[in-house]
Amino acid sequence: MTAFAHISVRGLTHVFADRRRTLRALSGVDLAVGRGEFVSVIGASGAGKTTLLRAIGGLLRPTSGAILVDGVLPAEAQRRKTIGFVFQEPALLPWRTVIENIRLPIEMNSRGSEARHAEPERLLTAVGLADFRDYHPHQLSGGMKQRVALARALAFDPSVLLMDEPLGALDEMTRTVMRYELLRLWEQSRKTVIFVTHSIPEAVLLSDRVVVMSSQPGRVVDDVAIALPRPRHADVERSQRFFAYADRIMDSLAKGSALAPAAAQAAAGG
Amino acid sequence: MLLPLPRLLRGARARPTEGVSAAPGETRALTEVALYVLPPAVALITAAVVWELWVRAADVPTYIVPAPSVVLDRFFAGIGFFAKHGAITLAEALAGFALGAGVAIAGASLMAHSRVLERSLFPLAVLVKVTPIVAVAPLFVIWFGFGSFPKVLIAALITFFPVLVNGLTGLRSVKPEAHEFFRSVNASNMQTYWKLRLPGSLPYLFAAFRICVPLAVIGAVVGEWFSGDRGLGSVIIVAHNNLDMPTLFAAILTLAILGVGLTVLTWQLERRVLFWHESNITN
Repeated sequence: MTAFAHISVRGLTHVFADRRRTLRALSGVDLAVGRGEFVSVIGASGAGKTTLLRAIGGLLRPTSGAILVDGVLPAEAQRRKTIGFVFQEPALLPWRTVIENIRLPIEMNSRGSEARHAEPERLLTAVGLADFRDYHPHQLSGGMKQRVALARALAFDPSVLLMDEPLGALDEMTRTVMRYELLRLWEQSRKTVIFVTHSIPEAVLLSDRVVVMSSQPGRVVDDVAIALPRPRHADVERSQRFFAYADRIMDSLAKGSALAPAAAQAAAGG
Repeated sequence: MLLPLPRLLRGARARPTEGVSAAPGETRALTEVALYVLPPAVALITAAVVWELWVRAADVPTYIVPAPSVVLDRFFAGIGFFAKHGAITLAEALAGFALGAGVAIAGASLMAHSRVLERSLFPLAVLVKVTPIVAVAPLFVIWFGFGSFPKVLIAALITFFPVLVNGLTGLRSVKPEAHEFFRSVNASNMQTYWKLRLPGSLPYLFAAFRICVPLAVIGAVVGEWFSGDRGLGSVIIVAHNNLDMPTLFAAILTLAILGVGLTVLTWQLERRVLFWHESNITN
């Protein structure tokens, strides 16, 4: 943990409890993400990745632990529009056109917070949907919808982007295309990103660092710096170093999981 | 007779993504006329012809069952009369529908925000719903006189409950992911209501509207039975007392035309407003 971290998480523990049972989703998670760093969080289902992301984004109040985003508490960071969210489900409003969906967060500018935002038309072009400006979501493919969700998350021009398996609902072909799209967009903007994924190749390709989590309770079991040169292109996926990183992450996943081989295989397959 | 009409309308207006030229659309509209309008039209005409032949062959007296030709004669001879009274009933029904739906949507919005309010108000709404309209109609005459207001109120009462229940369900059925997104951009409760909950509840509201629009007409007619000398309900009562069956049947015909017209209008409006909803996406 450094004093200069853009996002810092210390001793984060979260317990889901109802009358019948309690589930320890996160246990003493420490994480520091530097400004402009792309960090992937990988782990089997139930490793608390989404819980971690929601806590950092101020959507969930953790049981214990400290989180600072851009030097303030998550709720305050959210109020200041520091954080953009992309979920697995694009959750666009079906009655609004593409451009109207992208504009939505700007309309939420509450009083007091200055109207700092990106130009929606420019975002539209950045995600390659300029020709689909006035289409409605039901006229778009899954990949296009997720591009709209990405543009929408960028509407505030947030310095932090939290992504919860944004490519998880896409077919493999679209997913591959979108990875490079994401890479290109990030390399232009260099926002601080936390990217939750099940896919090892995806994590290695995109990230500066990959954080490996074990499940139940969710803990950080490995933190792998990916020293592949940028900008990254398709050939990087065939390099020896790429495979070395992927192997290391798979080993960490296997070590950290009670259901070790199955979970690691599932992650490798994604 | 009722069901095929929206299919026809759907065919007539091409979706923005398709319909490159007008010709295929026209051919399809013609095909749909042949498929969906012709069969019920044939059935209707056959039924009328059988009815006509039966009345003539059995020599059924006009004061029991008038022949369709007699009803049509009466209808067209008095078309101004039926139009005038039909317009009154229509106005009462629409005013009642607007009042009932408005109060119901406001009530549903309040209840959707607070479980306590829902628990307090919902039993009241159920009480209103289970009370038979025919039982309260005479009361309304005593309270509100012989004018249009009691009729409007009865139409409103009949509209209220289905809109309330569907509205409440609709306002609560927000996709969790969409709600999560609204939270993540720090949306206020009001913004979430106007930009997410209310538009999201429209499919549920329109399902209720489809039921309630014809019900509102019934409400207005029932109201007219009990008082006043205006509207199709009072025309029916007077004709009934005089054993004037052609007028009674012609009034019923007018009501049927009103009902079909309103239903088609509701469908058309729904298709325009809910173009984005699964029920209207035909690809």
